[in-house]
Amino acid sequence: MPLNKDALWYKDAIIYQVHVRTFYDSNGDGIGDFQGLEQKLDYLQELGINAIWLMPFFPSPLRDDGYDIADYNAVHSSYGTLEDFRKLLESAHERGIRVIIEMVLNHTSDQHPWFQQSRSSQNNPYRDWYVWSDTDTRYKGTRIIFLDTETSNWAWDPTSKSFYWHRFFSHQPDLNYDNPAVREQMWNVMTFWLEMGVDAFRLDAVPYLVEREGTNCENLPETHTILKDLRRKLDEQFTGRMLLAEANQWPADLRPYFGDGDEFHMAFHFPLMPRMFMGLKLEDRKPITEILQQTPEIPPSCQWSLFLRNHDELTLEMVTDMERDYMYDMYAESKTMRLNLGIRRRLASLLNNDRRRIELMNGMLMSLPGTPIIYYGDEIGMGDNILLGDRNGVRTPMQWSGGWNSGFSNAETERLYAPLIQDPVYGYPAVNVLAQRESEHSLLRWMQRIITVRRSTGAFGRGSIEFLYPANHRILAYLRKLGKDVVLVVNNLSSTAQAVELDLRRYKGNIPIEMFGNNMFPRVGDLPYLLTMGPYQFYWFRLRRI
Amino acid sequence: MEDETFLTDDFLRQLINVGEVDILVGLPTRNNAKTIGSIVHTIQSGILGGFPRERAVIINVDGGSRDGTPELVTGISIDDVRPASNLHALRTLHSISTNYAGSPESGVAFRTILAAAELLRAKACIVMSPESVNSESDWLSKLLRPIYRDGFDLVTPTYRRHKFDGLLMTNLLYPMIRALYGVRIREAFTPEFGFSNRLGSQFLGQNGWADGTGGSGVELRFTLAAITGGYRVCQSFLGKKDHVERRAADLVPTLRQTVGVLFSALESDFSVWSKVVGSQPVPTTGSDQELLLDPMRVNRKRLRQMFSTGVAELQSVFQSILSPPTLEGLQRIAALGEEEFHYSAELWVRTVYEFAASYQKSVISRDHIIQAIAPLFRGRVCTFLGENRNASANDVETNIEGLCLEFERLKPYLLQMWKSRE
Repeated sequence: MPLNKDALWYKDAIIYQVHVRTFYDSNGDGIGDFQGLEQKLDYLQELGINAIWLMPFFPSPLRDDGYDIADYNAVHSSYGTLEDFRKLLESAHERGIRVIIEMVLNHTSDQHPWFQQSRSSQNNPYRDWYVWSDTDTRYKGTRIIFLDTETSNWAWDPTSKSFYWHRFFSHQPDLNYDNPAVREQMWNVMTFWLEMGVDAFRLDAVPYLVEREGTNCENLPETHTILKDLRRKLDEQFTGRMLLAEANQWPADLRPYFGDGDEFHMAFHFPLMPRMFMGLKLEDRKPITEILQQTPEIPPSCQWSLFLRNHDELTLEMVTDMERDYMYDMYAESKTMRLNLGIRRRLASLLNNDRRRIELMNGMLMSLPGTPIIYYGDEIGMGDNILLGDRNGVRTPMQWSGGWNSGFSNAETERLYAPLIQDPVYGYPAVNVLAQRESEHSLLRWMQRIITVRRSTGAFGRGSIEFLYPANHRILAYLRKLGKDVVLVVNNLSSTAQAVELDLRRYKGNIPIEMFGNNMFPRVGDLPYLLTMGPYQFYWFRLRRI
Repeated sequence: MEDETFLTDDFLRQLINVGEVDILVGLPTRNNAKTIGSIVHTIQSGILGGFPRERAVIINVDGGSRDGTPELVTGISIDDVRPASNLHALRTLHSISTNYAGSPESGVAFRTILAAAELLRAKACIVMSPESVNSESDWLSKLLRPIYRDGFDLVTPTYRRHKFDGLLMTNLLYPMIRALYGVRIREAFTPEFGFSNRLGSQFLGQNGWADGTGGSGVELRFTLAAITGGYRVCQSFLGKKDHVERRAADLVPTLRQTVGVLFSALESDFSVWSKVVGSQPVPTTGSDQELLLDPMRVNRKRLRQMFSTGVAELQSVFQSILSPPTLEGLQRIAALGEEEFHYSAELWVRTVYEFAASYQKSVISRDHIIQAIAPLFRGRVCTFLGENRNASANDVETNIEGLCLEFERLKPYLLQMWKSRE
């Protein structure tokens, strides 16, 4: 299945996020690798996804799971070779799967040769590649992101006897984007991977590229200028490629990252995700409709990227204090589940392994406007290990079977890069791909089904959205429309059965066809359209005028 | 569910859409357009501030407003509250409205609220008055939290009132209920109070709604039902109590709603109150009562004249109701001049008790009995005003306490009359 040539392919994509290290170990060293991932591409194709997003695989001291890059033009030896990566890329493309890789623009590892040069002397040519200062009092208005580990955005470097700027861990010095040489070099890095055939970049931590006194050093105009320049070069030199922004910001602050369709193609909708969890727990559509009402229109060529969980904590930066307290109380009663301003748990464990809620959340993920991202393992309901530090609890080995090392690796168990999940509920003997493949009603089979249904219409990826506001606030209902294709989505956020009356008079005469079973429902008439819904049930109807 | 059939289909549909709630705020209205906006904002702020995570609904039951009151209630957006109060609603806050035909008796509105509370399985409910113009958002917490958090079933308010405000309460209802039922509830008849679902459901299931209105004074019946049912009752101090300016209410309808209800309840509650000795305070958050002492012009002369005229004109009625010594006592003080006039606590208590006993016996029409007490109450008020004209708050409290003790002391006298009738 060759790649489709549509330049807007990302609008129809279903992205699977995976870390090479976690997926499959082909050489028995306890660490997942490119060859292992390549061997599992058939599984991903069978699942129905058509893009994979790989977390950083570059040489790195791995003090931040690869987001501390020490060399941008190579791969970490634990994962294989550049040639292995090329083969993976080729194999993915053969299956119609595009490959998105990480590009950490904002900072490097302190082990990167650039930083080693930069700190070595005030006169070194690389000195100005990072942000240095004699004091730690500049840019006072800038928040600290990793509150649990950092007390300042400045770190003292005893080698050069000055402070360097870092927005994340102190071992991740920020690059100085006021330096044209840095900008040029980072484009060169991107070119290196684009020429190899990479389809897209997830650009990490983009709001923080530039610093200016008297600001909060986020979302600055100068940052947008740099990003637009990258986009311009991309469009000029490479066709059909895509840039995805990681900018954990409010919708109004996110909007500029799309520019006039000349900056990012896609951006994560960070504020929506916690509100989906909130709406589910509150049994109330308000948090979801409220944030989507506040979400500005984006250029036609652009797309939101939606997710339920990812490799990081469930971030609660983009909620109010009251909402954050609520989320903590509802989803992270134990303090060990909390990290920074978030909750470090997986989807299934957040939802108490309730199959109905897992399905409902995935149903919303697949039907709200945007491109959905599935975090590896969530398609089978993998759990987490909150006893592992930082965010490692949600980065445990993929559970392929109930056999040795969950089928992830032939290595001695002690050599695995991280312990396997072994608890009775989420452990690999109970939750694994092999078992779920064999079961017609497994979550994996259900995920395959919903992806198939999602891909059966372009309305979800490209259509407009119009919320219906039935008087029953437990029901989240909307219409997705693309041309004559109209899909009605009705979600019951409640744990109890609900009745709802929908105003569908505009569609009088249409026959709702339930998309999972292709069954007809009564024709829409003049009266409010009455539906009764079971707990956490959702419907997707294609409205057909026949 | 015969009891629920009085709800309209439209209202039921609205209730279905609201679904189960934690907090229910009942708001009975009738032509309250001038004040309802601020009251609803207060309620919304109270919910957002005190119960941001709870599922809440405001239920307006309107008795035929012609000034657009229901539309105002349902039309006020919570977003209007948010910027001013810096509060954010996690949830949808429903405001729904229904109306009822016929007489705007409070009983119908309250019955509707009770039915809604039961259907929505509300954990804690509150009734708010559309006329409490100075209500504060924290009133909701004060009336709801003891129910929602501490397991009480009824929360009645106490207020900061002028010492001459609520004279029927201080001179009759409070001391008599205290003496008979043994519970020191300062405001047993009040337009705002909180209650639990179990109390509401029990009361809803009682007989007495058959006439479709539930009768007037249902709030007092509700309080008495809580006491006699052994429910947990407490008081919560709300603060200053103001209400909209309006024409002075005719005393007789008020007596019907309060004294009439109380006298009527004594009949059915005899097995309870006849066994009560003394009285106990109820748990109270904040002050038991606070009195304001601002100077106030009162026409005691007119009160005394109305008393004397009543005693003279209703002599034949009183002969049916009162014992000869009590009637003689009243006639004696009716003949006194303005300076000498004094309606003592003992004589007042005996009067009230004899009225209660006569009411039970129905010596004459019960409504006439209630009407007949009006001039006597005015006489008692005249004395109360005189006694407390220059009194401090403590002195006023001492006088009220003295009256309460007199009601308690003479309770055997009431029991004796009651039993002799049996």
